[in-house]
Amino acid sequence: MGGQRAQVIDDREGQQAPGGVTIPAGPPPELVFKRRLRPVQVAHELWAARELVRALAERDLRARYKQAVLGFAWAVLTPLALCAIFTLVFHRAVKIETGAVPYTLFAYVGLIVWQFFSNTMNQGALSLANNLSLLNKVYCPREVFPLATMLVATVDMAIGVGVLGLMFLVFWTAPAATFLWALPLLVIQFAFTYGIALILSVAVVYLRDVRHLLPIITQMGVFATPVAYPLAKIPHRLQEIYVGVNPLGAVIEGYRKALLYGEAPDGRMTLIAAASSLVFLVGGYLFFKKLETGIADVA
Amino acid sequence: MSRDYPLGTIRTQQVWKRFRADQQRMLLRDRVEQAARRLRGDRGEDWRWALRDIDLHIEPGESVGLIGSNGSGKSTLLKMLTRVMYPYAGIIDVRGRIGALIEIRAGIHPDLTGRENIYLFGALLGLKRREVAGRFDDIVEFARLGGAIDRQVKFYSSGMQMRLGFAVAAYLEPHVLLVDEVLAVGDAVFQQRCLDRMREVAEQGTTIVFVSHDLPAVQSICRRGVWLEQGTVRVDAGIKDALAGYRDSIEAQSEATARVGEPLALLKYEVRGEDGEENLHTDEPVTVELTLGGDYRGDATLHLGVSEGTSSPIFQISHEIRLTGGDHRVACVIPRLPLPRGRYTLWTGVYSIGKTDGGTLMSWHSAGQFDVFGPMLDTPPRAVVLAAPVFVPHQWEE
Ligand SMILES: Nc1ncnc2c1ncn2[C@@H]1O[C@H](COP(=O)(O)OP(=O)(O)OP(=O)(O)O)[C@@H](O)[C@H]1O
Ligand SMILES: [Mg+2]
Repeated sequence: MGGQRAQVIDDREGQQAPGGVTIPAGPPPELVFKRRLRPVQVAHELWAARELVRALAERDLRARYKQAVLGFAWAVLTPLALCAIFTLVFHRAVKIETGAVPYTLFAYVGLIVWQFFSNTMNQGALSLANNLSLLNKVYCPREVFPLATMLVATVDMAIGVGVLGLMFLVFWTAPAATFLWALPLLVIQFAFTYGIALILSVAVVYLRDVRHLLPIITQMGVFATPVAYPLAKIPHRLQEIYVGVNPLGAVIEGYRKALLYGEAPDGRMTLIAAASSLVFLVGGYLFFKKLETGIADVA
Repeated sequence: MSRDYPLGTIRTQQVWKRFRADQQRMLLRDRVEQAARRLRGDRGEDWRWALRDIDLHIEPGESVGLIGSNGSGKSTLLKMLTRVMYPYAGIIDVRGRIGALIEIRAGIHPDLTGRENIYLFGALLGLKRREVAGRFDDIVEFARLGGAIDRQVKFYSSGMQMRLGFAVAAYLEPHVLLVDEVLAVGDAVFQQRCLDRMREVAEQGTTIVFVSHDLPAVQSICRRGVWLEQGTVRVDAGIKDALAGYRDSIEAQSEATARVGEPLALLKYEVRGEDGEENLHTDEPVTVELTLGGDYRGDATLHLGVSEGTSSPIFQISHEIRLTGGDHRVACVIPRLPLPRGRYTLWTGVYSIGKTDGGTLMSWHSAGQFDVFGPMLDTPPRAVVLAAPVFVPHQWEE
């Protein structure tokens, strides 16, 4: 008797229900579910889920740092290797001009930001897809999954900043006194990165093959972003548009000015980057929340 | 729409849920194809309803059994109550903390240890770490996990995962406990403990929604029964009525399954009481008379069984017969019918003996139903599951 029951539902709409009561063909339109986001409630939920974020991040970190030496090495190896290559190619061959600042330091600052972004993007994009079984069984605000990956990337970034400190020693310079400017830039960096991770994570659930785009974005991005070269290399009249699309450009440039050159970041560029990353964050969040309701259906 | 229902209330109003009926691979290229097709004017999306017009109001402390055949939408409904899934339309309001055990290892993260999972789940329920710590020992004690509590959950057996999941869901004092047929993977002892625990939390005022195909277990826990059929509520009543209706429908379906091309067929059957009267009575003689028809010649075993609602019989008796082709009449007398009052199903089947031992001549199927009049069975304590109703003549002395 197993096989015969499955498909009956479709042709019975609007007819007699089994119990003899008439069921309408569809729900009344005014009752169709619409997602309403109440900021207070959302914030409250997210705050309540902090344990979960911590536990998820801890799990990733623990898996990676099980062998403490290697785990640590992975966090610094990639940026250091890239840094070495950039020094050879861009400094020696292309002759990027960095003024009084050693090129290696110049490139490494950019690489820390880039590495943070690409880690969060790559891991964050898969964070929902990899946890579908959990998503299907227990309720939590789903944005915690990309958030946890960003937390992991933050730990890696902290290690990278430690290495940057060592580099200052090696090159016998000190971070400039203007380094406090880094803080607002950090906020912009986090906002933009999280926005992108939110968009990609939910996109990957619905379109599994989007994940194949990630390596392409990563590889093109490292050259399309002023990591190896200064923002000034981008034609002057395009700079504002560029920063609007990719706030990381202004963020990296700002860090360099603040940490290495002892200047304040360009106000106009920073404002554009801040506005743009806010758009990415809010837009990404709304996009995420809109599509979030269907995740369990397709899991 | 008032929002002031007490904690533990479950309300659904005109809830509808639909799923894609067409195949969905979740790939970008499929979407592009789909869009192209829609541009050409082909029909776009194909949906089918999984739940239609579900109206439920469950008061705090009620225990509700949700029953229905496979695919009737029970799990879907529970998922919407836990807010894992969202309805297509309608209003769902569940007040208070929800402890849910939907599928084995609900809410359990495979990469974390049992201990971490307990804290994680507590956090998901909105409990503070301290509050979880206070119940930690109870949970471990209940789940009987011992040293495994510090092992990663992915290395647990399914029974262990279920134990942990159930213990966590049932001990973190949710206002609403949702359990979806997961107990089956636990061993008999643990199943009983789960039922006990559910009864306990029910008595403490937790609202329970229990989904299971183990109907006696449902009956032992729940006072109210909701029978879902093809996504609609067919019966919402006392558990006894809901179960009776559901069992009848199971039987009606299995009778409808026609057996064609078998060597033997049941031409006629009759169940009669003492002196040929139609009514059957508990603890009194009963005669079952069968007439078999078919060309088969040779020895065969005739099986006769009686069930209540499910296909596992309460008892089964068999007899060797010699078939000579043509109609064959056989009668069986049971001097004292051991069944209490109720509606039962008669099952029968014939299998060959000899060269092709056990070959099916007439497969095991339900022949029809009969009613028994007599005493009701005494009610067992709550959460105690009777395997099958049997009337035992007895006398009390004091
Ligand atoms: N994610 C999904 N996508 C598409 N269809 C789904 C999905 N989940 C459930 N369904 C369909 O919805 C219907 C109800 O499924 P559900 O799992 O709720 O049944 P059930 O009553 O729990 O059955 P069972 O007794 O087998 O557990 C089924 O027809 C099923 O195929
Ligand atoms: Mg189910």
